[in-house]
Amino acid sequence: MKEKFAKFVKTLPMKIYIILAAVFIFTFFSNDFGLVDIQKTAVILAAGLDRTDEGYHLTAQIAVPKGSDRNSCGTASIDIEGDGKTVSDCITQIYGKTGWVPKLIFCNLLLIGEDTAKSEDIFDGLDFFLRNEYMQDSCFIAACEGTAKDMLTTVSAIDDTTSQSIEKIFSDAAVKAGTTVKSTLKDFAVSYYGKSKSGYMPFVRSIDQNCGADSGGGSGSSASGSGGGSESGGSSQGEEQKKIYYANETALFSEGKMVALLTPEETFAFTLLQGNVFAGTMTAEEDGKPVTLSILSDEGKVSLSVKNKPKVTMSLRTKIRLFNRGVPAPIDDVSKSEISDAVEANATERLTQYMTDLWQTCLDSGCDLFLLNRNLYRSSPKKYAEWKETLLTSADLEIKVKIDKVK
Amino acid sequence: MYNFLLTLHTFFMKNITGKLKDDAEALKGLLPAQDILSFGFESEKGLKFQVLFADAVTDKELLADEVIRPLQSYEGGKTAQEMGAAVICPEVRTEKGLEKLSEEILAGNPVLLWEGADEGLIVGTKKVFVRSIAEPPTDVVIKGPREGFIEDVKINTSLVRRRLKTPNLKIEMITLGKQSQTVVALCYVEGTSVEKTVKEVKEKLQKIDIDFIPDSSYLTHYLAQRPYSLMKQVGTTEKPDIFCAKIAEGRVGLLVDGSPIALTLPYLLVEDFQASEDYYVPSYRATFTRLLRLFALIVAIYLPAFYISAQLFKLQLFPIKLLITISGAIQDIPLSPSLEMLLVLLVLEVLNEASIRMPKYVGMALSVVGALVLGETAVSAGFVSTPAIIIIAFSGIGLYAVPNLIEQTSVIRLAMLIVAGSIGTYGIILLTAFILLYLVTTENYGVPLAAPFSPIVGRDLRDTFVKYNLGSLETRPKTLGSKNKRRLKRHE
Amino acid sequence: MNKIAPRQLYFFLACIAPLGKLVLLPTQLAHYSANDLLFPAAINFLLQAGIVFLIMLLARSNKTFYDLLVNTFGKIVGKILICIFAAFLFFISFLPILEQKLLVQSVFYDTLPSVVAFSSFFLFSAYLCAKPASVLGRTWDILGPLAIAGMVGILVFALPVTDFGALAPVGVTGAKSIFFSTAYTLNWFYDSAILLLLVGRFEYKKGMAWKSVVFYLIGAAAILFFLAVFYGVYEGLAVRQIFSFSKIGKYNSGVTVLGRIDYLFVFALTLGMAFYCALPVQLGVGCLVDTFGADKCKPALFSVGINLVIFILSILLDYQFAAINTTVNEKLWFLPPVFCVLVPILALLLRRKPRERKVR
Repeated sequence: MKEKFAKFVKTLPMKIYIILAAVFIFTFFSNDFGLVDIQKTAVILAAGLDRTDEGYHLTAQIAVPKGSDRNSCGTASIDIEGDGKTVSDCITQIYGKTGWVPKLIFCNLLLIGEDTAKSEDIFDGLDFFLRNEYMQDSCFIAACEGTAKDMLTTVSAIDDTTSQSIEKIFSDAAVKAGTTVKSTLKDFAVSYYGKSKSGYMPFVRSIDQNCGADSGGGSGSSASGSGGGSESGGSSQGEEQKKIYYANETALFSEGKMVALLTPEETFAFTLLQGNVFAGTMTAEEDGKPVTLSILSDEGKVSLSVKNKPKVTMSLRTKIRLFNRGVPAPIDDVSKSEISDAVEANATERLTQYMTDLWQTCLDSGCDLFLLNRNLYRSSPKKYAEWKETLLTSADLEIKVKIDKVK
Repeated sequence: MYNFLLTLHTFFMKNITGKLKDDAEALKGLLPAQDILSFGFESEKGLKFQVLFADAVTDKELLADEVIRPLQSYEGGKTAQEMGAAVICPEVRTEKGLEKLSEEILAGNPVLLWEGADEGLIVGTKKVFVRSIAEPPTDVVIKGPREGFIEDVKINTSLVRRRLKTPNLKIEMITLGKQSQTVVALCYVEGTSVEKTVKEVKEKLQKIDIDFIPDSSYLTHYLAQRPYSLMKQVGTTEKPDIFCAKIAEGRVGLLVDGSPIALTLPYLLVEDFQASEDYYVPSYRATFTRLLRLFALIVAIYLPAFYISAQLFKLQLFPIKLLITISGAIQDIPLSPSLEMLLVLLVLEVLNEASIRMPKYVGMALSVVGALVLGETAVSAGFVSTPAIIIIAFSGIGLYAVPNLIEQTSVIRLAMLIVAGSIGTYGIILLTAFILLYLVTTENYGVPLAAPFSPIVGRDLRDTFVKYNLGSLETRPKTLGSKNKRRLKRHE
Repeated sequence: MNKIAPRQLYFFLACIAPLGKLVLLPTQLAHYSANDLLFPAAINFLLQAGIVFLIMLLARSNKTFYDLLVNTFGKIVGKILICIFAAFLFFISFLPILEQKLLVQSVFYDTLPSVVAFSSFFLFSAYLCAKPASVLGRTWDILGPLAIAGMVGILVFALPVTDFGALAPVGVTGAKSIFFSTAYTLNWFYDSAILLLLVGRFEYKKGMAWKSVVFYLIGAAAILFFLAVFYGVYEGLAVRQIFSFSKIGKYNSGVTVLGRIDYLFVFALTLGMAFYCALPVQLGVGCLVDTFGADKCKPALFSVGINLVIFILSILLDYQFAAINTTVNEKLWFLPPVFCVLVPILALLLRRKPRERKVR
């Protein structure tokens, strides 16, 4: 008996390994525990959120592969819409309509309709995305002109997928040019839940492809007065007009509601003050003629000091180079590219004006764009308690602009 | 009756009697095969001789020149010593026992008997058919020696002697296998190899009770401390320079007659990542290629598994553009991703096996079948997807970056695939943890398999995945425990 | 198998012991003490460091904790005490294993997987726990550098998006909050209990005591730095960022191009965590083996039995994690100090000269 038991015990590990191998092979072949069937999965690339009377309207842009043929590959997409009292109801409706499992893990763009952003605190809608463990909070977030549904369902001139075209305008290159800002869901939520309760996101507009020449779409100087007109004329009937997108305006939020829109110049000033601009341009004037300057680097800062009264100091130091004159210039000038004092003064004046306008917009809207309340709280909770209600309105503004000319 | 009694008498004979006829008959009785021949001759003085030899393995010309001709004019005494001095053959031994004499005949060494002999004379005129020394196919180098071991243990030992011209090199011949009588040469450098290991190996060899040893791999089963282990526990090499380098480091080597694969003990896992060429090229190049091997092996094992687990359990492992491409590629494929990958893997293994076994004339045609039909056409027909083919192809090639571990790594790859297809990425991590635990707890002859990484032996890390230049490798690997620590003087 | 080498022990203290504090502890600290989360963590680490020093002094005898108990209190009482300690180890291992389960379900799968997914951990744990503690040293030699690589990787990814100013103002939550935060997170700091059971499994060498403290504090510094980065990335959102180490690297712009390559570092850390989660169970099984002997496959039987019980409990209590977490951390917070602080001190003070016994 003892020998039998000893023999049994000796062969037991091998038997266990064989049983385990059999179990794993069974699970492997049965595929019962495979959670994802890639063919039945709706990979949501972008989501557009609009408020309705009943609740929400969600537009999901779902990636559709074109096939393995290299000549026709790429990312096409289809737009599926869902309605519901909450955002998750909308997702459930999408699930029910398509039979696909919607996957938000690849959702890289959250678009908020203009009215939705303005009407109420948008965090009642964003709540779903923040709670969902399978949703990336590193996705871009932006407000858009009109409804998010209309924006996402336009046809892009640049890419098969509208959301991918929109995401391109938030690239690091565009931010470095100072033409746009970018914001992620996490950054927006952090500033919402912080002491300042304010945030910002880019405001997306679209224009017809044909009209791209005379409006300030995409790259190029936002400070040259190119405005945000999105009206396009001449789109042909019966054929959907291809659009291009731009976001040289910035939506300001306070307590979750959109309270103001920064003009392109103010957006430019904001990016300069964030210190992000390394390849921007701005146009000054010399003797009534336009002179475009290239911004090679910038050090921008907004600081707050509270002694008897709050004082906000906007400091900006940039290195600029002559980029382009609007008139014919002699070859000497082309080779030397010297910036005259008049141009420098004009540029300084313009930058000062942009920053003043920016501050005024923040003041008028009540948006603590520069998170002054948060910074005050961090440095002195006591002073924060004293000034938190009136910090913006009672603060004095000082603007310091210094330009370093580079040949 | 007389013949019956004579037969009975020769049957029970154990030693040489001195009666030529009886002795010859007794010996022939032990070797009744038709290829065992007997040749009788007389000297000028009338002394009768009989030579018994195995036809195929005896050099008859040498026998005639060195043994028969000198003895035809023999006038000396009848002792084996005198007879041995009379023949010209340098390899001469004497033996009394008939059993031993019969073994020698079978080994190819003819036995000389004569009237009045006290012992039989064994002459070394063996004729062995061996192939020439060539570059081994399993270890091809661009720089460095190109000699490889062959099937003859004597030639192999000569290759070792040529490289280690030290009196401390000990080569002990042990005969194993009741029927094969295979000669095994145990090689070690006295004072460098660990005595305990030498002793332990000898003891294990002496305990082997087997009929036939066709190859050195039969011995690995007996020499390994865990015979059923997944991981190798005995090092192998076909190159004399590597073999000598290993025993010079403190290991024990074994050369087996009939096998070109030499064995070395103790074995470290990191050995198989070290190619001979690494020591003949600059150290930066060696480091790069070793890291490349490691990378190729890791990718080969893990890539199919991660691909499956990503598709089935965690899509986020793919970047979005890659996911869309893969999704497009696998549209309408009838099999699930795990089965598809398993099928392609099996096809690869079958192709691999067939390409080794098939006659070379058929090889080209079947290569076309393998490449075009199983690759291109299967994808076009929609049986398998392109990503699966690419991944398995890369995995298959990557495994051969470390060819000595191919048996183990192909099993591990399959296990990873099954686990990934069953329970996903966490299964891969757990299996990795399991393998890691297994590796670090495996020892052979007191040396941990995963050394010098686990346990970390600082100095020994200089010749692992990163190779320092020769001047920095002053000491022998501490892991092997050799008492002779220094192997070179640092160049100032 | 050889004894644990000093280097291996230092790897454990600096690299492996901190791993268990990466999963849910950051969120808990943020919940209890917001931006002052470094203080409770630092207090607990310093306390543990002190106990580590005392335990290393105890280790000078080169006898195991069981031997010390038997020599001091006699065989029967010694066995009872070691069984109680084993029970504590099984208790303390439960929450980290549940955390690990939640981590695996969240990070390694796109949607909630079946119970089969994590059950394989118990297979591995059963295999590991049947091995003697002396194998641990060898695993730490590999896991230590892996853990360092994993930690460095995720921090490098996270640093560019960290705002260390979020940690200000310092001390704003108040001493009371810091005190309760310290008390309610004691459950994660049981490294001294583990070290106590490793005594006798390594050869004490001169200077090991202070060196152990130094290495432990290095690991502590890494975790404190991680906590600072964690709060600097998430600020007010920190309270809901469970399994933060798996997410903290994704905000780097390189990730958007290459995909989630930070997962490589997450996997490296998870590999170490698998061993760390099983460690208290392994040492608890070792205690049972010391008590009841190692013959007739008892280590394997104990290992399988204990792991089976924990597995069943993990299934039964699948949806009760929040309740268990609150109960263990807020109601039973006093248990870790008893076994992880008081017991080592008492062991050092009350020990008698040990008798000879063969170490397993």
